[in-house]
Amino acid sequence: MQVIKEFLDTFFSDVGVFDAICVTFQMAFSATFISSVLGVLLGLLLERAEFIGKKIVIRINRTLMGVPPVVVGLIVYMLLMRRGPLGKLNMLFSIQGMIFAQVLIITPIICGMTYTSLVSRAPAIRAFARTMGATPIQTQWLVVRELKNELYFAVVTGFGRSISEVGAVMLVGGNIKGHTRTMTTTISLLKSQGIFTEGLTLGILLLLMAFIIQSLADFFQRGEKSDENY
Amino acid sequence: MKIIDLIKKQGDFELRTKSVTIEEGKIHGIIGGNGCGKTTLCKLIMGMILPDSGKIDYEGLDIREITMTAQRPYFIRGSVYENICYPLKIRHIQPDEQKIDAWLFRCGLEGKKRQYARSLSSGEQQKVSMIRALIFDPRFIMIDETLSNLDPENLELFEQVILEIQKERPVTWMLISHRLAHIYKMCEVLHFMYKGEILASGSKDKILFGTEDERIRRFVANEVIKMEGNHAAFKG
Repeated sequence: MQVIKEFLDTFFSDVGVFDAICVTFQMAFSATFISSVLGVLLGLLLERAEFIGKKIVIRINRTLMGVPPVVVGLIVYMLLMRRGPLGKLNMLFSIQGMIFAQVLIITPIICGMTYTSLVSRAPAIRAFARTMGATPIQTQWLVVRELKNELYFAVVTGFGRSISEVGAVMLVGGNIKGHTRTMTTTISLLKSQGIFTEGLTLGILLLLMAFIIQSLADFFQRGEKSDENY
Repeated sequence: MKIIDLIKKQGDFELRTKSVTIEEGKIHGIIGGNGCGKTTLCKLIMGMILPDSGKIDYEGLDIREITMTAQRPYFIRGSVYENICYPLKIRHIQPDEQKIDAWLFRCGLEGKKRQYARSLSSGEQQKVSMIRALIFDPRFIMIDETLSNLDPENLELFEQVILEIQKERPVTWMLISHRLAHIYKMCEVLHFMYKGEILASGSKDKILFGTEDERIRRFVANEVIKMEGNHAAFKG
């Protein structure tokens, strides 16, 4: 790790690139994990439950899928600031606060994509499970198993949104070097300092890392498909 | 099993049955034109949809002992083997490899055991769907047009299978098919449906040839004309 840190320090100005990379991935993985659990569960619930106002809830969720991150950042900032309702948690300008903001941004995306996949395919899967004599839990598990490609895509989309986000992270995290500075906020800082080449290099590095992670995830997905085809 | 005054509305369609008894251990046939409610009735029996009123008295039969095969069967992601094993897996029953191999061989599906089930032809899929429904020895089996895509040879094979199982253990069958010859050959009891109602139930000869009901006579006559037409076209 120390070698990588020194290697990056020789290329970039004193903006804490190595720490920014660590913070970025810590935040993106944590936020994606929490949002995936919440989003998939909410999507399953939304598809299964029948209640008054369901259509409005779906519409609100779809609206939240496109909410500007900076708006979420502002709301979370107001919630977490010392005089805010959650001020006692001391989460402002911390990674936890940034994760909280990102969960609010990503969960509606994963929930909405899960719900859309379920609406079109789950009834046939449930009908089949019924004819086979599956219990309700076995049926629900089968639905998730059958839709794992769609769910995987939803999670990957959420991760992509998380890693590329800058507005909310900047507001809630405060872009503190070595603490809450992420790759995207570093790029923003480098741009404001007029160091465009380094900003662009860091951008390419961010894309490259995202590409490697996506490729690894795709590799495991493909392995499973070829197993099925025998 | 007793079907008691079921009512189920689906859009403009309404299924409305009087009290009908499905005698245990017999092969029943449901006939009727398109959209008369045959599949809806099966779905109600299967518990896939709930009636608006009325009820089904299963008379001690566990719903997990009932199965249904569809015209377009659903296949889970995985091989033919995984699909056949699914009902066993959810019952925590160890699959009997020899039994599965014997089924596949009998249905001409040897060598397809490890093939992705969704890549099979529709006829092969229907055969796998039948094996999957029979593998866990259910006591009540509904076959909703599943055999319709099979060629005469394979249709005869499954007719034979049904009759063999029927001799071995008491299973109640409910066959839905437009092939009147198949229904007449297989079934002991027929139920004729018309616009959501079960118009008549009884022995096959009584329903097909001994009825005074004009709607049933017209349906049978049309089916016979179709069969004769096919026969004439084949000869000509």
